[in-house]
Amino acid sequence: MVFQIQISRFNSSNIIWVGNYSTTVKQNQVLHWSWESELPLECATHFLRIRSMVDDASFPKSTIWSNWSSWEKVDVQDSLGQDTLFVFPNDKLVEEGSNVTICYISRNNQNNISCLLEDEQINGEQLDPHVFAFNLNNVPFIRETGTNFYCQRNKTVKGIVLFVSKVLEEPKDFSCETQDFKTLNCTWDPGRNTDLRKHASQRYTLFEFYSGEKKLCKHKNWCNWQITQDSQETYNFTLIAENDLRKRSVSILFNLTQRVRPMTPFSVSFETVSATNAMMTWKVHSIGNYSSLLCNVELYGEGRMIQQHNVSVKVNGEFLLSELEPNTKYTAQVRCAYDKHIWKWSEWISQSFITLEAAPSVALDVWRNVKSKPGSQNVILFWKPLSKFHANGKILFYNVVVENLDQPSRLEHYTIPAPANGTELSLDQSSYEIRITANNSVGSSPASVIVISGNSTEEVEEEKIKGTEDGFPVSWKPHSGDVLGYVVEWYDCPQDQLCDFQWENVGPGNTSIVISSDAFRPGVRYNFRIYRISTKRIAYLLEKKTGYSKELVPSTKPQVVMNNLTPHSFTLSWENYPTESQPGFIQGYHVYLKSKARQCHPGFEKANLPEITDDPLCCKYKIDNPEQKRFIVENLQPESFYEVQVTPYTSAGEGPGEAFMKVTTPGEESHKLIRILLPMIFCILVIMIACYMKSQWVKEKCYPDIPDPYKSSILSLIKSKENPHLTIMNVNDCIPDAIEVINKPEGTKIQFLGTGKSVTELEFTKPAYLYLLPTEKNSSSPSPCICFENFTYNQAASDAESCGHVLEPPFVPPSQLGLVTSSESLLKTLEKSYMNSLEEIPAEETNLNYVSQLASPMSGDKDSLPTNPQVPVHCSEYKMQMAVPPCLTASPLSEKSSLSSVTLLDQDEHFH
Amino acid sequence: MLACLCTVLWHLPAVPALNRTGDPGPGPSIQKTYDLTRYLEHQLRSLAGTYLNYLGPPFNEPDFNPPRLGAETLPRATVNLEVWRSLNDKLRLTQNYEAYSHLLCYLRGLNRQAATAELRRSLAHFCTSLQGLLGSIAGVMAALGSPLPQPLPGTEPTWAPGPAHSDFLQKMDDFWLLKELQTWLWRSAKDFNRLKKKIQPPAAAVTLHLEAHGF
Repeated sequence: MVFQIQISRFNSSNIIWVGNYSTTVKQNQVLHWSWESELPLECATHFLRIRSMVDDASFPKSTIWSNWSSWEKVDVQDSLGQDTLFVFPNDKLVEEGSNVTICYISRNNQNNISCLLEDEQINGEQLDPHVFAFNLNNVPFIRETGTNFYCQRNKTVKGIVLFVSKVLEEPKDFSCETQDFKTLNCTWDPGRNTDLRKHASQRYTLFEFYSGEKKLCKHKNWCNWQITQDSQETYNFTLIAENDLRKRSVSILFNLTQRVRPMTPFSVSFETVSATNAMMTWKVHSIGNYSSLLCNVELYGEGRMIQQHNVSVKVNGEFLLSELEPNTKYTAQVRCAYDKHIWKWSEWISQSFITLEAAPSVALDVWRNVKSKPGSQNVILFWKPLSKFHANGKILFYNVVVENLDQPSRLEHYTIPAPANGTELSLDQSSYEIRITANNSVGSSPASVIVISGNSTEEVEEEKIKGTEDGFPVSWKPHSGDVLGYVVEWYDCPQDQLCDFQWENVGPGNTSIVISSDAFRPGVRYNFRIYRISTKRIAYLLEKKTGYSKELVPSTKPQVVMNNLTPHSFTLSWENYPTESQPGFIQGYHVYLKSKARQCHPGFEKANLPEITDDPLCCKYKIDNPEQKRFIVENLQPESFYEVQVTPYTSAGEGPGEAFMKVTTPGEESHKLIRILLPMIFCILVIMIACYMKSQWVKEKCYPDIPDPYKSSILSLIKSKENPHLTIMNVNDCIPDAIEVINKPEGTKIQFLGTGKSVTELEFTKPAYLYLLPTEKNSSSPSPCICFENFTYNQAASDAESCGHVLEPPFVPPSQLGLVTSSESLLKTLEKSYMNSLEEIPAEETNLNYVSQLASPMSGDKDSLPTNPQVPVHCSEYKMQMAVPPCLTASPLSEKSSLSSVTLLDQDEHFH
Repeated sequence: MLACLCTVLWHLPAVPALNRTGDPGPGPSIQKTYDLTRYLEHQLRSLAGTYLNYLGPPFNEPDFNPPRLGAETLPRATVNLEVWRSLNDKLRLTQNYEAYSHLLCYLRGLNRQAATAELRRSLAHFCTSLQGLLGSIAGVMAALGSPLPQPLPGTEPTWAPGPAHSDFLQKMDDFWLLKELQTWLWRSAKDFNRLKKKIQPPAAAVTLHLEAHGF
């Protein structure tokens, strides 16, 4: 029959759904039909009616619809209770992405109800005055505790939890396998979890088609299936995944023998391990009485696989691992698979073992360094440690046997404990044979033999080589005959002779080798020595090579010294420049010369350096010989300015130089003048020295204390020019009893020049008299003899600062002196100044300058003329001789430093 | 004189008046209980934050304060101040003990429903701590001579919602459980602080008699 059903909402005329339901009916049968409303039924009154029709070909006449039943009203709002606010549906479970309708029923007329989905307020559709509906489309999964929808009015909060489940996925990678033909282990990837709080419904069921058995799995990703005893070979499994909303399934069909994965082997051990062999044994879990396993054995040494073998095993497996290295750690691992059909290998199981030690297999690579001393030789033996491959065990010590070849009976044994890589022997000048062996716990290596000849090493010339990126290509001339091989030795770090002494053995047929080392650094000079090893194992030095792996520019500046400066040339020298310690072979030097000339000097070329401009012109001279450390710059102009610089250069380029040296060539005249002046100065110096040595004699001869009028040149001059009859009065003819010293009537001013202040001025209003003791007491009357003034012997001593000081003789009483001052205090001051000045005056400055009596002031310093115009010359016949301080003679005479300022000297000094 | 003083100081430990021996009283255990409540307060602050986020809005909103509808069975911590002041020690401790006994049961039910392993670990750790607080309160009560309240048979509190209990109301109950627990811990801190001050003996007066000879 077919039943047609109509559903109305709110009122019977508002039909919202019409559907048919076909079923076979029996008599008195109660039929059940369900319909799910999108809008919760609590939110609205629903009406339903039904009619039927026979839908059977055997009753064609009955295909007429029956009458509609009366409307059935469905209204649950009356049974909700006393609350005033309800939210429906209650705790609904939907799948992610579904559309959901939620409503609230308010039994209160207040409309201040707000509804929120989680924390977002949403607006609904009013279905009737008390019902609002909210359509949520494509709802997402938020959390396992569900999505909260709630409405609140004042303090009333009513809500529901909408449980949104993730969509159940189809299981992936579903497979089954057995390890023992008793249990099938099925595994799969369940995908994402769809469980929620209170709705943890995701479950898995395993169904086997042929047996019809079903098993509910406890876990979400694996399940065990017991294999029955009737030896079913083919299985068709269906895995059913389901939750409250969805159901999914996946199937596999397989033969049991093709799904065998044996269990991991066990009890792996090694028996009878020797230096080169080991017997490996293991056990496997049986998978059947007549079944066997194929096992895969792998041997690893030093992290890489060395051997791989396949072994057929029933229960106990064994395999002899051979061709092993002594004293080496190996790791062997084994896994097994079902030999009839390899589905999957079992897990690996591994075990390690170490082979036993054996005697070292090769002789040590030994070299020596011999340092001869008078009467002895110091032999330093070096050897390279044996590789692990050749050592065959832990080297415990090295044996060194030294045999004196000149006295064969003498043998000396030395034991050097490992890990030494050398030893030092002090031997005499005899020839020795040295045998070195390495020893481990099992035995000794073959001996390395070196013969030390007592002969001194011959020197050979050093040859330069050039390093490349690959190393130093070292080659040498072949030596005919007695050659066992060659050895090239060097130091990895030449600055430290004890650091990394290296050597390389070369076969007798080779005469070249490329020496490479990670220690080679640019700019470091490496020295190589090539030795020939004779058949008697004696080393002979063949050649020496030196070179740089990469040359660098010179690192140090030459200290250039300039000398021999002439108007046309000068010499530059840098003798101390260390060419050997540079980071490259010095190939020569560049001499740069800057000048204001327009063209470079012969031999120079214009320097094309970026930092050098053309003003002034810079020229370069290239010196190709690194040993030439002297250069003469020629063809220069006199009295010209030049700048010069010297820089070294290597194949890598030019090194630094000192700053340009500035040179100005002298003029030719001055040059000549120097040639004249120098001998003159020398002669003068010789004369001065001679004069000094004979000063007394010269004084007597040239300027005695009392000049001899007869010797005066003036006399001869006067004689010859003015009055040839003029004679000299002989003073000896009279006996003087007094000398009257008459001062100038003009006022004399005394000024202290040192201070620049005029301390006092003294007016000499009357002559001052200096009385000499009469030679005869009785002679009271003046003699007819002429008295004359002679101030020649007045002396004034002064230094530069005390020029112009009046230094009164202390012993002259003021009353006798009759002059000079009315102020005693002044005298005291002067006296004090005098004493001070005496103390201050240096010895050489106290010398008196002799001024000729007749010398006119005008003949002296011309500059003094205007300053001393009024000095009268009273004694024209005989001018007094004066001693004048040097400063006065050197400085212009001022008015205040007139002649009268000269101090009188002690009379004793005058007449001695 | 100095030697005499040194001798006296040397024998100070042997002076009976200075040796405080015997039962220290309930003071230390009250202090420990007080410290434990403060620690649990701190611990619950973190746990409640995680759990309320797990429930989702509006339960994790700071100003969410719903009516206390379905949580009537929870022991109520709020009490009138005068009533609280008038509580005697025994009643005060009994109320604490009974409240935490109920809250612990509810909390264990909460733990069983938690979906995430991390949340279950946190809740289990807090339950252990709360069990410790309960034991500590029992210790204080024993020290003060108060008997432990015996639970009536068949009245073991459960946290199984009835069939009509919706998930939203269930979440509301969880919210109120955590809130009530927080309030109880705050109140307990006040209770034990008050008890501590009340029980704490006055500072011991030590009198040392020295008989000095020859001074």
